[in-house]
Amino acid sequence: MNEDLRYIEERLDAGFTRRMQTRYQIMVTNDPYDQTFNFFLNSQRRNQWQKSLPLHSVTTYRLAYLEALLEQLRKHTQLTFLFVGFTGQRWPSNQQFIQRRRLGDE
Amino acid sequence: MNYEHEPHGVFFLIDNKSFYASVEAVARGMNPLKARIVVMSEADNTNGGLVLATSPDAKKRYHLQANVSRARDVPHDPQLSVVPPRMNLYIKRNLQINDIFRRFVADEDLMPYSIDESILDLTHSWRLFGNTPKEVAMRIQHTVRRELGLYTTVGIGDNPVQAKLALDLYAKHDPDLISEIHYETVPEKIWPIEHLTDIWGIGHRTEAHLQRLGIHNMGELAHVDPYELKAEMGLIGQQLYALAWGIDRSQLRQRRGPKNASLGNSQVLPRDYVNQNEIEVVIKEVGEQVASRLRHHHRLAACVSLSIGFAYAATSVDGRSGFHQEMRISPTDQNSEIVAAILKLFNQNWAGQAIRNVAVYTSRLSPATSQQLNFFEPTGQQVRRAATDHVVDGIRDRFGFTQLVYANSLMRGGTAINRASLVGGHNGGNAYE
Repeated sequence: MNEDLRYIEERLDAGFTRRMQTRYQIMVTNDPYDQTFNFFLNSQRRNQWQKSLPLHSVTTYRLAYLEALLEQLRKHTQLTFLFVGFTGQRWPSNQQFIQRRRLGDE
Repeated sequence: MNYEHEPHGVFFLIDNKSFYASVEAVARGMNPLKARIVVMSEADNTNGGLVLATSPDAKKRYHLQANVSRARDVPHDPQLSVVPPRMNLYIKRNLQINDIFRRFVADEDLMPYSIDESILDLTHSWRLFGNTPKEVAMRIQHTVRRELGLYTTVGIGDNPVQAKLALDLYAKHDPDLISEIHYETVPEKIWPIEHLTDIWGIGHRTEAHLQRLGIHNMGELAHVDPYELKAEMGLIGQQLYALAWGIDRSQLRQRRGPKNASLGNSQVLPRDYVNQNEIEVVIKEVGEQVASRLRHHHRLAACVSLSIGFAYAATSVDGRSGFHQEMRISPTDQNSEIVAAILKLFNQNWAGQAIRNVAVYTSRLSPATSQQLNFFEPTGQQVRRAATDHVVDGIRDRFGFTQLVYANSLMRGGTAINRASLVGGHNGGNAYE
């Protein structure tokens, strides 16, 4: 199995504790400075602050690779993915926008 | 004051705005100035969580202080992100930033001052990069922002202390994040400062001492008789007087190492330790850690010290906050000898108080070029014992600390295994990377 996938899945399983009234999301960010894709597990209980746990940084900085990785990861988890820093970029396979709108604090 | 013979140069003191929080914001694709991020250590000795850093926006909104605020002080605002620290990542970023600085100054003109501050002596090189020092500062800021996404704050001065004061007092509040202090602007920039503790190098105790002498602000400090100040406070008095006049004669190129190096470790315990066995387990672990570091540095220690901090409750009963004892030993880097010495110190001084803090330091270091044998044991045995420590070090260097631990670290009270991945007492980052 792919190393990147293994790291992400291991840490995701450790961090995804399925607490009541908590929203879990996987945040994938585009880090142009380090040339990496960073994965985080964000969890937020109702009306509380959000916790953001780093999962892994993927150093293969190609969208096609990221797309393949996410396809594998989606077989492992059904959590929602949130993309940050990808405005204007499209997935190589179907040319759809990765991130529609820029977030307020980007 | 005649400044004619004082050193005149161009010095920058550059720090990162909310360094840890900014690094975390950039990793999450956010702008460090807009993000609301709190970096919180949740190690088990932080009593629920300790705020290590906050992004500028979070600082303004929630009035949090790094290393002071606790998890309970952080409001439950859904807009806020709380993230764990990754010390290894911050160290990596610091090295990258200093590499950028090296494009502007020679190696010997750069002095990293802390994890997010560096002193640059641009006296000889600033003209290569702009028409004024401020222009060069902006250029450095833009380079760091473009390549790493981080915002930097720059203090500019004719010497390092002016640059430091410009940074601490003014640059952080300046819209450009740049500020300057020069010899001619010392009276208008330094003297009006009302709170002495706002000044670098003046803490609460020095402030109280100065106030006893009738000195309440920097203007007054600048106008006392320096000889009287020296008579009252010693060398520090002279230094403070120089500080008030913005005088600093240090030469960045002439680095001075510490006169007497020491090497040691300390830790805050996750709970109060009362049981003698538990305490001894921790002391032993810290002692072994220090001995191992001595061996890695190829040093022998001829003096060990043990500091024990009592728990709050024990402090109020005992009247002391802990104890600190030193002991001379024959120069060694071996676990058994160092641990034996500190356990002896512990048993001589401990009277059953609950403790919360352990520190072991070694000093009087000398190069480890030989092993001192004694008359009372067979030579082979002594040599083998020393070799064992090195073998354990070798295995840990290769396979990781937790792959080979002493059985007593598994006993109740041991902290070594949990602390193995910490950097500077905090989470180092993803162990996988």
